[in-house]
Amino acid sequence: MMSYVYDLMKTPFVLALIKIVILLVVAFTVIAYITLVERRLLGFFQSRLGPNRVGPLGLIQPIADGVKLFIKEDTVPIHSNSLLFRIAPIFTFFPSLVGFGVLTFALPWITPASKMHLFALADVDLGVLLVLSLSSLGIFGLMLGGYASGSKYPYFGGLRACSQMLSYEVPLTLSIITVVMMANSFRLSDIVTAQQTHRLYFFIPLIISFVIYLICMIAETNRTPFDLPEGESEIIGFHTEYSGMRFGFYYVGEYTNVVFLSMLAPALFLGGYDIPFVNDIALWQVYPQLISILGFCSYAIKSVLFAYFYIWVRATFPRYRYDQLLKIGWLVLLPISLVNLFIVAGIKLFLLK
Amino acid sequence: MQLLNKFLKMITFPDLLKGLKITTKYVSKKKITEKYPEEKRSYPYRYRGRIHVTIDTCISCRLCEKACPEGCLKVFPPPREIMKTDKRPAQFYFSQEHCLHCGMCVDSCPTGSIHHSHEFEITVFNTKELLFDKEKLPYDMLKKQYKWNLVENVPTKVEVKKKEEV
Repeated sequence: MMSYVYDLMKTPFVLALIKIVILLVVAFTVIAYITLVERRLLGFFQSRLGPNRVGPLGLIQPIADGVKLFIKEDTVPIHSNSLLFRIAPIFTFFPSLVGFGVLTFALPWITPASKMHLFALADVDLGVLLVLSLSSLGIFGLMLGGYASGSKYPYFGGLRACSQMLSYEVPLTLSIITVVMMANSFRLSDIVTAQQTHRLYFFIPLIISFVIYLICMIAETNRTPFDLPEGESEIIGFHTEYSGMRFGFYYVGEYTNVVFLSMLAPALFLGGYDIPFVNDIALWQVYPQLISILGFCSYAIKSVLFAYFYIWVRATFPRYRYDQLLKIGWLVLLPISLVNLFIVAGIKLFLLK
Repeated sequence: MQLLNKFLKMITFPDLLKGLKITTKYVSKKKITEKYPEEKRSYPYRYRGRIHVTIDTCISCRLCEKACPEGCLKVFPPPREIMKTDKRPAQFYFSQEHCLHCGMCVDSCPTGSIHHSHEFEITVFNTKELLFDKEKLPYDMLKKQYKWNLVENVPTKVEVKKKEEV
């Protein structure tokens, strides 16, 4: 029996299934606990203690929140388009969850049994393009949610959210394109390998696109300086008619996006699973398993830095007005990123032969 | 040079960085929040908590009873024969239900037997518990609890009756 199970484990299909389950479990726990971390850190920034009552250090708080959301009454308005109303929350959170599959978390730890990469689920050729298209799919959730609610206010909120996310996706894409040009590949692991071989993280030569990416990633996930679509207590957003777990799904979707974009950023700009100040590839040939685990740790630390940046910015800046938001998007970020793109393209063409 | 400065300011967002710098200071700073049930802070000397009466020093003059605007104090002096030697009241009622914490009784007391304590957790489930008589009132400052039936020196109701009989 055991040998049969062991043989089954070696097949690539089952191994992939196991990896999917592990990835989902880890992703969900991280998403659940980033809500707690955010609330506690926001407390620290405002010199108070965050939620610390439920369990030691408030560690059971996310579970309590989830239970509360599930128990709440789930209402569907009469005038709403009920099918779209039910589908829309899943649309926000599913695409970014798919995006986790594209990431590569460490240098390959190849098992002797089956020649599979243990720290990557699907290292697709056009990984970056897939990520970008998935993130634009996420807009549908907000738009459909606003449209299907059957009320004017969520409708306008949905339109607002849609135009914001569309306008900030252009500079985001353009800043990522510069990275792709430097690395000569759309595959995420190739981008990291390029940074490892050059021994230079891309945020140094591409500092402008790095800053643009930082701004756009906050705007993409509707977080605080740009949180007009939601506007937690002040503005009527697209999810006004939602209640219970459907409302919770919008928040889970937002936090999934936060986690995903803060895991994508180190791969693009900070060298991903590369350990700083160490020649990774040379060492990897000697101690493959040690280096891949250490690389995984460094990747985790880097993405935690980005998640911290999200919360830090949320604690610091007030919200932009809507016209200011669109002005920043179209009149500042877009020209800068276009010029940046041309400069990087010129340097790539003529200087780095 | 000025143009270059302006350009540098445009690129590096000095105002935003300043804001970020200020907020980071607060992460490691001491928090203002009190962890109330676990840690109790010290209250100022003149904090007006629940009223405590030291029956031993009371001379049954009933000034507090007259001073109280709500009429929540009632003092019953002992019979005249006992009063000659022992001036402690035969019975003393204090109703927390009506108390305003105004401090009139504290001001009026000639011997300083009535005083405010720092005790503020005075919520109870039954309003009858808010009526304090002589046996409930004495308060052990060291143990920080009421001497419910530990009054040795103070004569109880039964003892007063016995004395009267004698």
